[in-house]
Amino acid sequence: MTLVYRDPHAMHCPPVDKERELIHVDCASHTYPDGSVGIHDMCFYVLKNEIVTLCGPNGSGKSTLLEHLNGLLTPSLGDVWVNGRSITHGERVDLWKDVGIVFQRSDDQLFAPTVLDDVMFGPLNLGMSRADAEVAAMSALEGVGAADLVNKLPNYLSGGQKRLVSIAGVLAMKPKIMVLDEPTSDLDPLHSERVEALILRFKQDYGISIVIATHDLDLAARIADRVCLVKNGSVFAEGTSEEVFYNPSLIKEAGLTLPHTVRIYLDYCKARGIAATQRPIQRDELISALQGLQSPPQ
Amino acid sequence: MSSTMISSHIPDLDLITVYAQRQETYFSRVSPWTMFAGLILVILLITLTRNLLVCSALYLLILGIYAAAGLPVKKLFQWYTIPVIFVLSLVGIMAWSEPGTPLFSVNLGLFTLTLTDNGLILVVTLLLKALISVTYSLFFLMTIRYQYFSAMIYRIFPEPLDQIFLMAYRFLFLTLSMTGSILKAVRSRGGGIIHSIRVQGRIFAEVFALVFIRSFDHAERVHQAMIARGYNGRYEAGTEIPRPGFSGYCIIGAFAGAIATIVLLVPDTGVLL
Repeated sequence: MTLVYRDPHAMHCPPVDKERELIHVDCASHTYPDGSVGIHDMCFYVLKNEIVTLCGPNGSGKSTLLEHLNGLLTPSLGDVWVNGRSITHGERVDLWKDVGIVFQRSDDQLFAPTVLDDVMFGPLNLGMSRADAEVAAMSALEGVGAADLVNKLPNYLSGGQKRLVSIAGVLAMKPKIMVLDEPTSDLDPLHSERVEALILRFKQDYGISIVIATHDLDLAARIADRVCLVKNGSVFAEGTSEEVFYNPSLIKEAGLTLPHTVRIYLDYCKARGIAATQRPIQRDELISALQGLQSPPQ
Repeated sequence: MSSTMISSHIPDLDLITVYAQRQETYFSRVSPWTMFAGLILVILLITLTRNLLVCSALYLLILGIYAAAGLPVKKLFQWYTIPVIFVLSLVGIMAWSEPGTPLFSVNLGLFTLTLTDNGLILVVTLLLKALISVTYSLFFLMTIRYQYFSAMIYRIFPEPLDQIFLMAYRFLFLTLSMTGSILKAVRSRGGGIIHSIRVQGRIFAEVFALVFIRSFDHAERVHQAMIARGYNGRYEAGTEIPRPGFSGYCIIGAFAGAIATIVLLVPDTGVLL
């Protein structure tokens, strides 16, 4: 993959890989009733079994795009295709069966009186019997490691537990695509790591495609197959973590800051007065890159 | 003070739920349906009898059960404030016109108000009835797991009342928590110090308005999240409620028998049996 710059004035975004494309956003724009622009000429796609992160500052249009993927919003202009169906042309009725969305604030999502009721909500809406819905709910809670919370009330859960239950509520519906809005915001480091591990497992074990909106670039760098930089309501550049995050001017243009690993490596190279020849992203890659720099020349 | 507590005289929803989930005493093992039947029978009895002694005995019995269940008695007396004010504000006027032996009179110039023994009994009886229903209701709410309670509402109430209740409960928690946070923020900057009633009133009006706007906004987001999981206007409570056992039926039967006996044999009015 090479770094791709998007033309902000493109009229049409052709499919990248028709066979593997689950989501295709074709120059979609959305204007809210108050006149504010959520997304503008947005071009975006998600392939099967892929983790895509949308990185951008607050108000860049990430959450608006996510709500289009589930059919909660429809574009004012352009088109959004999910699993071969266009949401613009009235086919969004049961889009929620394919695309599960985990909201940024768990308190917005957990509305039912108990954890079990909340996780069963989606499966029941899918038409499952009560018994089957309970099995699906329990399986999802076990899947996120929160089976012990089944009889608890959401009011008495910690922020991290609420996030796990929110994820279980979507997982119980067995979606093809899971969309997560700021999944690690407001979480303690342990729960952040847990959520991160879950996201990777959903892709590997369940084959779910994942879309994450975040400004936690460390998370994006660690888990993304593809990183999309969002600014002013559209994706303006995309590529692998290495391609995007080792381009400081691009990150600056997006109004973001470099992930810690990248910053440490680049600062170290700069301090030593040597060229940054590698592109470590993961922590172990950084360690070996730094060890390589420290070892005396042969 | 829990995060959702606004005043010590208003029943604290958070504390009530904490007790309900704690499940440590015998009463927690009783079927919710048995407890509910008890509630119906208690209401039936206080509706049918006007006997002060029966009401007093029933009140003491329920207060004893409440205490035996390990529930906070001191809090209960604080929570009595609102029902007592409510009853006294209504019955306090009616008590003066009851026929009976005069106890004392107040001359108001144009007319004289006389409090009779029957008027006093009426006040005390109605007050006891209110306290009985409040005490048993709190006992009921504080000994039944919330998931059973919500499932009972779902099974008993017709649509859309059950839907409103099921969704309102959690929303109420969040709104109370939001109110608590705003009040804390107001107090943290000196807003809790009473400068004047006018200033204080304005602050609380602003807090109320803010809570209203945020609740409205929050409701919209919750609705969006529900639609995202296929909400189609109907929400089902999934919890199965334990059925009453043999002992449960015995308790209900004995209580119903006691009520029938009291209603048939004990005079409807009066202090004595």
